[in-house]
Amino acid sequence: MRAVPFIAAVALALATSLPALAKPTVGQPAPDFGVADSSGHTQTLSAYKGKTVVLEWNNPECPFVRKHYGSGNMQKLQASALAQGAIWLTVNSGAAGKQGHLDASSAKAYVAKVGGKESAYLLDADGTVGHLYDAKTTPQMAVIDAQGVLRYLGGIDSIASTDEADIGKATPYVAQALAELAAGKPVSVPTSEPYGCSVKYGS
Amino acid sequence: MRIQNYRSLLGYSTAAAFAFAAMPALAVKPGPSDPIDVQLIAEHTELVPGQAQQFGLLLHHQPHWHTYWINPGDSGLPTKVEWILPPGYKADEIEWPTPKRFVVGGLYNFGYDGETLLPVSITPPPDAAVGSTVHIALVTKWLVCREECIPGKASLVIDLPVVRVAAKPDPRWTAQFSEARLEQPQATAWKGSVRDAGDRFAITLTGPGLPPAAAQLDALAAQRKLFDNKPPTIRRDGDAIVIETGKSEYFTTAPSELDLLLTTSSANGARGWRARIPFAADATAPAR
Repeated sequence: MRAVPFIAAVALALATSLPALAKPTVGQPAPDFGVADSSGHTQTLSAYKGKTVVLEWNNPECPFVRKHYGSGNMQKLQASALAQGAIWLTVNSGAAGKQGHLDASSAKAYVAKVGGKESAYLLDADGTVGHLYDAKTTPQMAVIDAQGVLRYLGGIDSIASTDEADIGKATPYVAQALAELAAGKPVSVPTSEPYGCSVKYGS
Repeated sequence: MRIQNYRSLLGYSTAAAFAFAAMPALAVKPGPSDPIDVQLIAEHTELVPGQAQQFGLLLHHQPHWHTYWINPGDSGLPTKVEWILPPGYKADEIEWPTPKRFVVGGLYNFGYDGETLLPVSITPPPDAAVGSTVHIALVTKWLVCREECIPGKASLVIDLPVVRVAAKPDPRWTAQFSEARLEQPQATAWKGSVRDAGDRFAITLTGPGLPPAAAQLDALAAQRKLFDNKPPTIRRDGDAIVIETGKSEYFTTAPSELDLLLTTSSANGARGWRARIPFAADATAPAR
């Protein structure tokens, strides 16, 4: 069964990202993908046309990810995005055997344990989606508008640290971008440098 | 209590500062499995009023572990220090040694491994009381990574007497401070320019003492959100060195100057040169 979403992902990657290997660019169409989630469904970006979509790169064992889940900040952000009608896709691009890699059942257990509110948890162990978005860190965030245009790419907020105490002092770039999109305004901070652990891609 | 006691995530704690008040230096001694050992050291055993003296955070990394430069690259965090000093004492910024490039899973980082000293200059006030003993203390936070990362935190203290003249060098740390000087990027009077070429920057350097073409050179920006962190192409063009490096996808606007490090690594460790290069006027336009 794993082969099916993989082939779909490769096909989609080839179909949508040629003139390809181009970097994901804010203001341009976000690259489409097809990848299995923890429930075995294939998740594509194109299926969510008409809705705002948030992508969140995740590694449950990364201290920067723990900062935002341990404090409840990530879950709060997820709940608020969903309440605004957005879709939230958490992506795990950690390769098998690397720290933080999850299979379907361990992903389900993780989401239940932390009280994650995401729409789906994507199993991207081959790194296809990660490379399409040039994701470098966990957490790293992308916000895509209802027309499928990439509107934000970067960090979750403005203070690079592992301290929960910094969350309240930081500018919450993702929350800000979602609020601005919901209000029909341009995103005032469309990129920021993501901070965190390296995404644990396979070689 | 002025100096707080923290338990780091590595599972060890620094002892309460008062227990060490009589000791010249407090070292965090982790167990053998801990990835890093952190010490606060001073170049001299005494302080002199009004005279800057070198202190430093000595990092002993276990093999394969590293901590980060002021620009950590694609991921990671620079090591932070927060000094707790008596009134009138002034600590400068960390004098970052020339970093190494680390490649982890196709992503690039800049930082340090092995034994590295992060030097900091501290100046007592001119009216520091001769004959008194002062606490020089700091809280440091770091992120140490192999492929996985572990944040750590420690509070460290050194007690030093204030003397009128001629502070004595501490023989235990002479080698470390000498090596740290060699690891400092050398200031240069190089001239040059940075041109925005769309998805990359083209940098030209000229001036006295440019390294020979044969050297295995690397070029890093001390500022974040400028370079894409991938290895640049560097070539000699007559009297000039020409560097081409990808632009960060998070680039927004150029600062007035690029704080550039040209680095080379050898068996003796990383060596570097530092140049401040103005951006060409049209490089300040947004990338996209």
